[in-house]
Amino acid sequence: MNSTPHHRSPEASLPGSGEETLRLIASLPAPEGLEQRVHVALRDAPRHARVLAWPARPRLSQHAASRWMRTAAAAAIVFVVVGGGWGVYTRVQQGQPAKVIVMPAPRGFSSAGAMRTPETLPGPTVNQPAHKPQAQTREAKKSAAPAAKPAIQPRPSK
Amino acid sequence: MSTSQAIYAGWMEIPTSAVNQEAPTHAEDEALAALVDEYAGALYRVAYSVLRNPADAEDAVQEAFLRVLRHRHSLGEVRDHRVWLIRIVWNIVLDRKRRAKTRPETDDVAELARVLPSTGLSAEEAAAAAQHHAHVLACVERLPAKERQVLLLSAFDELSSVEIAAVLGITESSVRSRLFRARNLMAGLLNHARSLR
Repeated sequence: MNSTPHHRSPEASLPGSGEETLRLIASLPAPEGLEQRVHVALRDAPRHARVLAWPARPRLSQHAASRWMRTAAAAAIVFVVVGGGWGVYTRVQQGQPAKVIVMPAPRGFSSAGAMRTPETLPGPTVNQPAHKPQAQTREAKKSAAPAAKPAIQPRPSK
Repeated sequence: MSTSQAIYAGWMEIPTSAVNQEAPTHAEDEALAALVDEYAGALYRVAYSVLRNPADAEDAVQEAFLRVLRHRHSLGEVRDHRVWLIRIVWNIVLDRKRRAKTRPETDDVAELARVLPSTGLSAEEAAAAAQHHAHVLACVERLPAKERQVLLLSAFDELSSVEIAAVLGITESSVRSRLFRARNLMAGLLNHARSLR
């Protein structure tokens, strides 16, 4: 970047626009040993991102070991999950009756379970009409004679 | 192919990059070291022009190269390393400045007189020049962000308007129009200050 200017913009700076100050600042030299300090920082920096990057692919010698490690880790996870589920299953008893809390009946003016029966006015009663049997005996005719009264009895006046 | 590789090859795919991983890493490290040697100074000046604090500017340069280190595998795909690096450090310093919200150190007149070159000037002239520089920088801070950014980058002789456009992610015509507006605004601010004196 210390080479010759590539291509200046055609607009010349306005006199008195203060660009000389900015050019002075832009041309200040970098501090001594900056490159060395950056080199040291790069050398000490971690080579791979710890959180966001995927882990490096294992080498061939490590591949078999890492495969065993993965299998063991998967087995451990399965064991923990199944064991936890079994523990929960054995502790929780099935079919327990639900505990019902009976609240005491409120005191005071309560109906106490009484049922109200409305009073009805005495209405006309309808008698069943008499049947005439096809073949009746004499005794039956005699006994049936009082049934020939009018069906609707007059309502007693109060 | 070795015996173990031949055994594994029947049932498992072995990428050659996993076996010979050291060689490209070494080449990438060398390329990165060359970039540090070539562009660290330029990146420092870009960072300093925004932050105006030597320690913060150096931190920004180191952070920029650490970012490059994490993406060193894609170094070969970059067409213009200089503009790419300037863009990285530019984003870093803008982010830092947004977070800090503090006044730059060199806006102090005494600090400006110490930092900026004043060869051939008497003590009074150097003090007056430092005061003028401080006033100019205060006016730059009052510019709108878009115009200020273009004005700061245009102060670097080695950056063309095309490269400024690449750094800022805008078109070249936008760079020109913003630069025109920034210069006019600066001239207005400085003239207004002169008329008040």
